Amino acid sequence: MKRVLVTLLVIASVLAISSCGGKGSGGTLVYGTTDKVTQMDPASAYDQHTWELFNNIDESLLTYTPGTSEIVPGLAESYTVNDKGDEYTFKLRKGLKFTDGTAFTADSVKWTIDRAAALKGDPSWLVTQFVKEVQVVDPLTVKFVLTGPTAFFPSVMAGNPPYYPLSPSVYPVDKIISNPSELKGGQLVGLGPYKVTSFKRDEEVVLEANPAYYGAKPKYKKVIIRYFADATTMRLALEKGDIDMVYKSLNPSDIKDLSSNPKITTNTLPGPFIRFLCFENSQSVFKTKALRQAVTALINRPEINDKVYLGQNAPLYSMVPQGMIYASEDFKTAYGDANVAKAESLLKAAGYSAKKPLAFDLWYTPTHYGDTEVNLAEVMKSELEKTPLVKVTIKSAEWATYKQQFNHKQMAAYFLGWYPDYVDPDDYTAAFAQTDASAGEGIFFSNKEWDAAFVKEEQSADPKIRAEIFAKIQKDWTDEVPCAPIFQGTLHVLTKKSITGVKIGAPLIFRYDTLEPAK
Amino acid sequence: MRRILRYVAGRLVLTIPMIFVLLSLVFLVLRVMPGDPVSAMLGEHAPAAYLQEKKHALGLDKPIGAQYLDYLGQILRGDLGRSMIFEEPVAQPIFEKLPATLELALFSLALCLAIGIPLGVRAARRRRTGHDFGIRLYANVVYCIPVFWMGLMLQMVFGVFLGVFPIAGRTGSRIIVSDFDTTGLYVIDTIIHGDIAALGDVLFHLALPAVTLGVTLSGIFVRLTRANMLDVLKSDFVLASRARGVPEGKVVYGHALKNALIPIVTMLGLQFSALLAGAILTETTFSWPGMGRLLLERIYLRDYPVVQGVIIVYALLVTVVSLIVDLLYAVIDPRVKL
Repeated sequence: MKRVLVTLLVIASVLAISSCGGKGSGGTLVYGTTDKVTQMDPASAYDQHTWELFNNIDESLLTYTPGTSEIVPGLAESYTVNDKGDEYTFKLRKGLKFTDGTAFTADSVKWTIDRAAALKGDPSWLVTQFVKEVQVVDPLTVKFVLTGPTAFFPSVMAGNPPYYPLSPSVYPVDKIISNPSELKGGQLVGLGPYKVTSFKRDEEVVLEANPAYYGAKPKYKKVIIRYFADATTMRLALEKGDIDMVYKSLNPSDIKDLSSNPKITTNTLPGPFIRFLCFENSQSVFKTKALRQAVTALINRPEINDKVYLGQNAPLYSMVPQGMIYASEDFKTAYGDANVAKAESLLKAAGYSAKKPLAFDLWYTPTHYGDTEVNLAEVMKSELEKTPLVKVTIKSAEWATYKQQFNHKQMAAYFLGWYPDYVDPDDYTAAFAQTDASAGEGIFFSNKEWDAAFVKEEQSADPKIRAEIFAKIQKDWTDEVPCAPIFQGTLHVLTKKSITGVKIGAPLIFRYDTLEPAK
Repeated sequence: MRRILRYVAGRLVLTIPMIFVLLSLVFLVLRVMPGDPVSAMLGEHAPAAYLQEKKHALGLDKPIGAQYLDYLGQILRGDLGRSMIFEEPVAQPIFEKLPATLELALFSLALCLAIGIPLGVRAARRRRTGHDFGIRLYANVVYCIPVFWMGLMLQMVFGVFLGVFPIAGRTGSRIIVSDFDTTGLYVIDTIIHGDIAALGDVLFHLALPAVTLGVTLSGIFVRLTRANMLDVLKSDFVLASRARGVPEGKVVYGHALKNALIPIVTMLGLQFSALLAGAILTETTFSWPGMGRLLLERIYLRDYPVVQGVIIVYALLVTVVSLIVDLLYAVIDPRVKL
C-alpha cells in the first residue's frame, strides 16, 4: 500500500512540475471571456465578441482612433463626399496585402460589399439599408453610391465588419462560412494588426501579430483568447494568474472584490450599452400613455444601480446615453426617481386604486443579459409596488421564448438591452420608436410625426438641424414613453497590473494592439 | 464466430427502431417548446419579412408533419443536416466536442471501477467490521450526492482553497491546443506528440471532472460488488480453493470476483447512460467543452438539428456500450451463449 502511495505521489509531482512548463512565454497575452464566437464570417456574424475578433484581424476603409469616437482613415488614405451627401469616394492605401498575400484593391472592396448584400446574413441590413452600389473607379479608388443622403455613413462604415474587406481568393462568394476550416487554406485572412493562427470553438483562439500590417506593430506578439463557461471560474483564473486579462462578463460582486486586489487593475470605461424597460404600446394595458408614465415615474434608477450592480453602472435619463452627441437628461426633470406622488396621481386619474390596482406581469430573461437579471426584476418590482396602486408579478423565459413572446405582443412589460450598431443617436431612438423598428423590439409604437423626424435627421448633414430634432425627440419621449431608460452600462476590463493600454471607445471597438506591458 | 456476428448484426438492426422512436420524441418536444431558432438568432431589428424569409429557408414555415418527413428523409440519407444558428454541418460541432466527452467518460468510468470494485470486495471480505461499515457509508453518501454539488465542492476544496488542481477547461491557459490536437483525445494526442508538459497539464485538468463523475457513480458499484461477492464467497468452490491452500488474493480476485462480475458488467452498461447525463452537468461545472455543454447551449438556442444530432450520437454510444457489455458476458462466462 505504501509503495502505491509513494508511486502516486512521484507521478503527481512529475506531472505538477511538467504542467508548469507552458507558462509565462514572453510577448504573449492570455485573455479570458465568457463570450462566444459565432460565425467567422463578417457577412453573417452579428455579435459583440465575434466583431471584436474581426476588429483585430481586419479593418475598414475608415476606422476609429482607439478609445475614442474620432473617425480617421483606415485602409483608405482619404475620402470625399459629393454635395448631396449620397456618394462617398475612397482613395485606398497603396501596396497593402491580405495575410494570404492577395493584393488589396478596389475590386476586393466591391467584392466584399456585393457578397455581404447577396448572402443576406444577419448584419446585411447595415449594408443594404445604406449602400445602393459600389463602383470601382480605378484599382485604388472605390465609390460608394448610397440609397440616400446619410449623415452618419462614415460611422456605419468604420465600426461594422460587413464593411471590412475580405480576400476574394479565400472566402467563398456564395456561402457563409462558420469555421475557418471551411476557408481555402483553412485560415482566416485579413488586413488588421493580428492574424488568427489557431481556432478551436469554445476553447481557444490564438492571434499572432500580422507582420504586413500598415500601422504600428502590436506590443504583444501573441494573444490567446480562452473561453469560460461561467464568470466565477474566470475570476478565479485571473486571481491565480492563469490569465492576464478579463473582458465580459464578470459578476458585479466579482468586479468589486477584484477591484481591491493589489495585483489587478480594474479599467472602468464608459459604455454605450443601455438597458431599458419596454412596454407593449399597441394592445396591452400599456397602450394607455398615462400608465406608461406612471410606471416610469416609479423607477428608482440610483437604487437599481446600487442594489443590483453595486454602483458599477450609471442611471440613464434618456435613451441616448450620456457622453454621446445630443444626449439630454429629460427624464430626470420630467420624472426624477421614485416619484410615487406623480405615479399615484396618474393611476388614480386612470381609475386605479388600492382595491383595484394596476396588475401586470414583468418579464425578464435569466441568462441573455447575465446572472443579475433576476435581481433587476426583483428590485424593479419592489420599486413599482411602493404604491399599493400597482401589483407586479415577475415572470421569466429563456431568450428564444422571450423574443418570440415580445414579437407576438405577449408581454406587457419586459427588459431589453442595446449595443449600438453605429455610434449615432439615431441608433438609440429610431431603433425603438420608428414604426417598423419598434415592432422588432416588441414595443409596437407608431407616430407619423416621429417617423418623419427620423427620416429628416438621417438625411441631414447639418448638425444644427440634427441637434434640434434629437432635442425634440428626447423631450417628447418623456411624454410618450414608448420605453423607459434605466441605466447605462460601464465596461470593465480587468488586467494584471503589468498590462496597460486598455482603450475601448463609444464604438465598442477593443483593439489588442494598444495593449502593452507596463514599463 | 458467425453466431457472434449474427448477434451483433441483430442488435445493430434493433437500434434502428430505438433511434427512430427517440428522434420522433425529440423532434416533437423541440417543436412544441415555445421559441424558435430564427427568433433566437436574429437581432431584434430584423424586419418581419426577413424573419419569414429565414423561416422559409429553414423550412420552419411548413407544417410540423412535413418538417418531420423532411427530417426523416434527410436522416435516411445519412445527413444530420446543418445548424440553424451557425449554418455549419451538424456533424462538425459534434465531432469537435465528442472527444472531450469521451475522454471524460472513459477516465470517469475507469476511476469509478477502480474505486467501486476494490472497495466492494474489501467490504465483502470484512463483512460486519468497521471497514464494511465505513465503505457502505461511503457508498451511500456518494450515491446520494448530486453530481453538480460534488463538482462544486471539489472545485472549492482542491481548486480554490488548496489550489492543487485547475478548476476549468481541458488545458491550461497558456497551452496552445493546436500544437498537439490530432484526435481530440488530448491525453493520447500529447503522448503521440511526446509533449510531456502538455500531458501533465491535460491530466491535471482532467482530474477534478473525472473524480466528480467517477466518485459519484462508484457508490452503486461498491454496493453491487459487495452484495455479489458476499454470495460468491460462500460458494463451495471458494471453500475448496481455500482448503487446497490457494493464496487468499488469488481466491478472491482470481476466482470469486470473476464469478461476481456479470451483474457488475450489466450495471456498467446501464450506468453508461447515467454517466453521459452526469457529464452534461459536470461539463457545465468545469467549463469542459464537450457534448453536454453543446447540447445545453443549443437547446437554449433552439438549434433543432444539432440537438437532434447530439441525441442520435448519445443513443449510438449507449447502444455500442450495451453491445460491448453483452459480448463481455461471453468472455467472462463461457457458459453464456449469445
